[in-house]
Amino acid sequence: MKLISLSALLFVIFLGALFIYVAEDIPDFGDPNSAPNRYVNLSISMDAAEAATNLNKGIVPEELVNDLEVRGFREDELPAGVKKIKEGEWDAFIIPEEKHYYHKEQKYYFIKKEGDKLWVYRYAPIIRYIEEGENETEVPNMVTYGLADYRAYDTLGETTVIFTAGVAVILLLRRREKRPEVR
Amino acid sequence: MNTEKSETGEGKKGGGDVIVETVSRLMVPFIQLFALYVIIHGAGGPGGGFQGGVIFGASFVLLVIAFGIVKAGDRFPEGINRAFTSLGVYIYAGVGLLCIILSLGVAQYLNYGFIPLTAHFEENRALGMDLVEIGIGITVMAVITSIFFNLVWKREESEEEGGGEEVQE
Repeated sequence: MKLISLSALLFVIFLGALFIYVAEDIPDFGDPNSAPNRYVNLSISMDAAEAATNLNKGIVPEELVNDLEVRGFREDELPAGVKKIKEGEWDAFIIPEEKHYYHKEQKYYFIKKEGDKLWVYRYAPIIRYIEEGENETEVPNMVTYGLADYRAYDTLGETTVIFTAGVAVILLLRRREKRPEVR
Repeated sequence: MNTEKSETGEGKKGGGDVIVETVSRLMVPFIQLFALYVIIHGAGGPGGGFQGGVIFGASFVLLVIAFGIVKAGDRFPEGINRAFTSLGVYIYAGVGLLCIILSLGVAQYLNYGFIPLTAHFEENRALGMDLVEIGIGITVMAVITSIFFNLVWKREESEEEGGGEEVQE
């Protein structure tokens, strides 16, 4: 009994330490422009001196395409074009196979100069919803188009959960038919 | 003990305070109008189906608090409410199915752009979202109301049974 409570205490302390560590590890939570919300590091690096000149001209470096292929990215996920945002930062575009929803090139990779290396990031999918959601759905409320359009399956499930709760309460607590005779 | 119980029982039978009754009778239509506003304007501003449905259900809760469960519950058709509980989910799922049917199987489930309400794909999506929000609102309203009504009926019944036993003893 004592062993169980002691190990439970240790477990709680361990979980608390883990939570604190994770909370410290998330930088600027809630900021849409912070790194984990905006882009994820793919741990692909290139030499700045060679690649930067190519990128500035709009040419995708060969080694980047090869690295991405090795990582298992699909054919239509490989970068097709590059655009410079500002000094030391580039966007790489892809041309998806699926034409109806992605009828133009999609912003997919983010290349950033850090020191004498170029690091490759992948944009989070939420960036697309934030930046193009209003044009795609004609709804100004970001919460609504996220909830009812992009995540419509999820909301259908939520509504079904509420419906199930209501049915359960009706089945368990419904008043018996003898009520009118009391009055 | 007995007198207190009978007093509360009478209060529930004949309704409560005159002021509370009058004010809530005046307030309920406005609360319901506001709930409809919240549901319909879910796309344009803050709001949506869940919030509007909860406000709509709260108006019925206010009715019960003011008039007592017997008076308010007799005016409230429970069978229709039970139908509304599933109607909202059916609207939601039906809008999703409509996308497949009206696009002749091209579109996925719940892809509102293919419902030909207007000429533009994007505006169809906005209108489809509105339809879905109405479905959510109906379900949430009916569920909130039915949970509250059933709980109050249950409590009323057990109080009546308890009181009856005491009288018999």
